[in-house]
Amino acid sequence: MEPQIESLSLKSRQRFFLSLVVIFVLALPALIFYTTGYRLNFENQETAIVTTGGMYITTDNLEVDVYLDEEQVDRPRLFRSAYYIQNIAAGQHRVVVQRPDLLTWVKELPIDAYIVTEASAFNMPIVPHVRPITKYVTATGTPVYLGVASTTQLFSGVTTTLPVLITLSTRTGNYKLNDEYTFVKSLFASSTATSTKSVFKKIMDEVDRFRFSTSTEVLIEATTTEVLVERGNMSLVEKTGELYAVWNGTVQNIPYYFCITNDTPSSTALRYGNHVALQVSKLLLSTTTPMLIDSNRICRPEIKLDRLRQDVYLYDFFPNSSDLVLLQLQDGLYVTEIDDRSWQNTQQVYPGTDFRTVVENGVIYIMDGDKYFELVTEIQPI
Amino acid sequence: MLHPKNPLFYLQTALYSLVFMDEQSHLLPYARRADFRVSRATELTGKDYRFYRFLEIVPGLAAWLTLIGIILASMYAPFYAAYFIIAFAIYWVLKTIFLSYHVRYNWKRLRHHMELDWQLLMQKFSYGQYYQLIILPYYQEPKEVLDGAIKGLLAAKYDPKKLIVVLAAEARAGEEAGQMAREIETEYAAQFGHFLVTIHPADIAGELAGKGSNTHFALQEVRRKIIDTNAIPYKNILTSIFDIDTVIYPDYFNCLMWHFLTTENPYKSAFQPVPLFTNNLWDAPALSRVMAMSSTFWQMIMQERPDKAATFSSHSVSFQALYEIGYGQANVVSEDSRIFWNLLIANNGNFEVVSLSYPIAMDATIAPTWWGTMKNIYKQHRRWTYGVENWCYIIYHFSKNKAIPLKKRWAIALMQGEGYWSLVTNPIMLFILGWAPIFLGTREFHATVLSYELPIMVRNLLIVSMVGLVVSSIISLSLTPPRPDHHSRFRYVVMVLQWIMVPLTMIVFSAIPGLDAQTRLMFGKYMGFWVTPKREK
Repeated sequence: MEPQIESLSLKSRQRFFLSLVVIFVLALPALIFYTTGYRLNFENQETAIVTTGGMYITTDNLEVDVYLDEEQVDRPRLFRSAYYIQNIAAGQHRVVVQRPDLLTWVKELPIDAYIVTEASAFNMPIVPHVRPITKYVTATGTPVYLGVASTTQLFSGVTTTLPVLITLSTRTGNYKLNDEYTFVKSLFASSTATSTKSVFKKIMDEVDRFRFSTSTEVLIEATTTEVLVERGNMSLVEKTGELYAVWNGTVQNIPYYFCITNDTPSSTALRYGNHVALQVSKLLLSTTTPMLIDSNRICRPEIKLDRLRQDVYLYDFFPNSSDLVLLQLQDGLYVTEIDDRSWQNTQQVYPGTDFRTVVENGVIYIMDGDKYFELVTEIQPI
Repeated sequence: MLHPKNPLFYLQTALYSLVFMDEQSHLLPYARRADFRVSRATELTGKDYRFYRFLEIVPGLAAWLTLIGIILASMYAPFYAAYFIIAFAIYWVLKTIFLSYHVRYNWKRLRHHMELDWQLLMQKFSYGQYYQLIILPYYQEPKEVLDGAIKGLLAAKYDPKKLIVVLAAEARAGEEAGQMAREIETEYAAQFGHFLVTIHPADIAGELAGKGSNTHFALQEVRRKIIDTNAIPYKNILTSIFDIDTVIYPDYFNCLMWHFLTTENPYKSAFQPVPLFTNNLWDAPALSRVMAMSSTFWQMIMQERPDKAATFSSHSVSFQALYEIGYGQANVVSEDSRIFWNLLIANNGNFEVVSLSYPIAMDATIAPTWWGTMKNIYKQHRRWTYGVENWCYIIYHFSKNKAIPLKKRWAIALMQGEGYWSLVTNPIMLFILGWAPIFLGTREFHATVLSYELPIMVRNLLIVSMVGLVVSSIISLSLTPPRPDHHSRFRYVVMVLQWIMVPLTMIVFSAIPGLDAQTRLMFGKYMGFWVTPKREK
């Protein structure tokens, strides 16, 4: 057996190198076209190059099902709360985000070639989740309801996230006082004390439709425009009897849902809804609230919030979000999205006509009759 | 040093020649130049200084400009940056395929050479007149390492009486190191043709403490004390300069001799084996194993591209060739490859590397602690990547030695330059800056399909390139020595899975130390030789 003294021959190496160069030359434009949105379409027995766009949906819950035009989208393996959907033909598309125990989020959005349309879904529980805050708790911290025979009279239309102890007895000797109860009670007490007239009473009297939570900062009060609640560059403003979300930052950082492609009114109406087209037409003529122009898009500086034709008793940002707003309306507490493209999804988080709400340090507290709850906004996995 | 255009230059050269005539006469003409052994810009003056200093700045500057350029492009021209990154990712996949092709070919050749009976092949040659000179420079390595190297020589299927062994100790290492050498001499000297212990003085002016200067001294000593004394013709000596942890495979000298006798220009060739860092592979942590095997793979690739190779670590060359250049340089860090560039330039480009495709065993870098091992690997690779100092040397002398064909000068300059540039920039570009447009791009860019598809595309291309790692994994297992009893079989699984660390090792132990070394050179913060501790005392 003779040794193979020759290295890989220069000819072989050159041939191999050249074949790789050819692959590079062919692959580069193909992959660049692919990543910019071009696809080969094999439908209709004819191969054609089509242009596509994408959709990026974020959800606030894992384990939800996402549907695009009635077809379920595969769950992402990584970053499970973000769905990037590829290869979507240009046009209107309906997205549905749902889970059996949660309210469904639906939106119809326009998709443009080469562009990714963003949306942020949220799903609140069908049956609200509350954590009872009682005056007395057991040694292990279980809330105790004294002089009560059944839980049904305690939690109507809601479910508790904690086991509770009920007893017909009113003796408190075996239980300890709950500091949190004292704190929460003081929150509601001070909220009434900050107004010359009880906010609670005002709400009940329906004197004013707009009142703000005493736990959030009062900025300006004016007769026509009131900037009442602010989070980052976003503020909630009452103007001529309506509630608006207003962007105060630069146009470069404006949230995507304020902006639409610069188009004709009819096209805008078709893509984003009549209400958006009407608002845009109005704002384009406005000198006081001008549209923000940013290269290929136009951005509205404000979006009207849907109050379901009801009076608003309280409003604030939903905890840890500047895209969702908490509204206390006549028949309950709601969460609504600022994004008004096609429509605003509004979901009830607590039913009732006779309760009060305070938002403190990102926690929503409810006083319903003589009972106090924390409204649990974190959704448990199935 | 005066510039050649300065009239006094010739007077200086004449005086220099007169004074050092005896010492210079054996040198090749180009090797007689006073700047032949330049190691850094500060050793030059005038235009030469400025040119050499400029060359020292170029590699670091090119690397930093590339990395900063990608960041700026991602911010201000994200679409172009994205297209560039896609192109680069495709290039990376194809490069991986290209290199895997070379590794696979060399692996077949290596295995074939390991199966051959080289002793049998040598029977048709008459080679009794030849000697193998083995230089074993060491510093503070334990006796067990020295023993291993000597025993490896004795176990070789080669007449030990034809071996001249030089154990080159360092005076700086203290009396203990010299004592150890003498103990080894007492124990083994009689079994070899000749055995010499040299103690490299610590205070020779103009030297850089390290393996290069020790070897340089040992070569002079062995010529004086053994070669000349025994009147052995220089042309009949093949010199192997081995790291002290080198343990040769039994047929190494037969394989070397066979190649020496059959190659076209044996006195104009350096002979490069494949270093397998396997002596302590089973005891080394996974990261160290990956780095060791990666270095082996790179050398296997270079074995198939000898026209692009330089000598690395342990290698062999005729004593005549070394004598003609004055044994290379005693003032550089990367002495193993510098000696090849000395030879190439002094021989006007007529010098080449001959691939032996035969292994030698060396130590993987380890330390008593995991963190210590990581630090040692980093420092070792920083020293290796400081080989960029050779690029300055090559370009400087390519501009002076017009006898080297222009095409060859350009080819080497560009190839070496690209090598050092890609070493430090490619892993960072691929695994970190590839995502830059996504984070730094404009709003318009973020709204596009391109912005969303870019990370998916780059990720998929990287996954394809990982196929190369599967090849690496298979080859590395075949080169791994038998499992010692005290290690479980499960370690084989770890040895397969360890390759997923390659993206990390490429950045932490190649790109960053490379960038570190190039930046130091760029700012004139010249590095010294750092001895890699490989086994505990």
